[in-house]
Amino acid sequence: MTPNQSIITRISAIISRVENLTALYALLAIVVVVLGLVTLPFIAYQDDQLYEKTLDPASTLDPYDRGGVPFGTTPVKAQYPENSPYAGYVTAYLTPFSQWLADTTHHMGTTIVAHPGGILDEILYNTRGLDTVVETSILFVAFGIASYLFRRDD
Amino acid sequence: MFDLPTTNIGGPELFVLEFGDIVAYFSPYTAALFVFALIFTVLAIVSRPERQVDFAFGGDAYYTKEVEANLLRFQRFMAIACGLATLGAMVTGDVFNFTLFASLVGITNIGIVAAYRNRHVLNAAFQYGIVVMLATVPLFGGAAIVLASTGTLSMWELFTGAVAVPLFAKAFLVLGVMGEGMAPFYIAKAEITRAQGAPFVLMVHVSSLLLFLRVIEIVLSM
Repeated sequence: MTPNQSIITRISAIISRVENLTALYALLAIVVVVLGLVTLPFIAYQDDQLYEKTLDPASTLDPYDRGGVPFGTTPVKAQYPENSPYAGYVTAYLTPFSQWLADTTHHMGTTIVAHPGGILDEILYNTRGLDTVVETSILFVAFGIASYLFRRDD
Repeated sequence: MFDLPTTNIGGPELFVLEFGDIVAYFSPYTAALFVFALIFTVLAIVSRPERQVDFAFGGDAYYTKEVEANLLRFQRFMAIACGLATLGAMVTGDVFNFTLFASLVGITNIGIVAAYRNRHVLNAAFQYGIVVMLATVPLFGGAAIVLASTGTLSMWELFTGAVAVPLFAKAFLVLGVMGEGMAPFYIAKAEITRAQGAPFVLMVHVSSLLLFLRVIEIVLSM
């Protein structure tokens, strides 16, 4: 780099290298995060949450106990209740076997998280069905890429 | 019952599709983006890959680059998946759902470029992959801050004047989409475009461009 280059030339020389891309993005992220941390005390938590969450450590389904009675009706908060006439809490959809497992052992919570549906269940909520579809699509695409790359030399 | 709260940005609504709490909408703006993404998805389905030729300087030699059938099938699948994810991101009416579609676009973009064996392309794809992984934090963090500070994720509520979305959350959303779609970071893409198989690689550009246009609309409306 010659000393009489303009500042714009130097900046464009730095950002035109692919190897600097990650650092550039990280710098941008740090700037936004620092500015965000300054404004964070002024952001108030909204008490009226649409997707509220309660934890009951005593439950055998902990931490996945969403409340509700299996095969019964459970009131659910929804943004647009008229779009989800059959809404209920996710825990209300336990199969009889899962219910028996939850009643007799203390391992149902870990069993749910041990398969992908459990992780999805942690994030998602009953009235948000399209999220479930997209989330599993992400998983399947990731598996697809990994398996193609792994097996392409066969 | 569904009336778009802000019609001055996206225009009046044309069609509404309900998935429970997620209510997708077509305004002239999102419908135009949707049609654009649809055209490119159809192009990815019907087109055949370009055949690149490398000329060697100082001689008569040239190399033709063949696209293997396996690679072609995989890339076409990823390009179509990327197109579908873009279609979803264009019309969704929910912030978390939008972030999910955005990360699906990011991972399919990785899939399109990851299968090459060209060293330059793979190097660019690697840097791009790191940024995409990094970007999920601000992307989903932005959606989480929106939910915590307003109590809802539906754009139909967020676009009203009564709900104030913090600037931090908006900045995080834009930052996340920048990382996922790489819209302003064209350096990595210029390297990626060296790869053969033009219509599928171009899907990377189209999806990120549309994604960025859409997140600008969301952030301005919120």
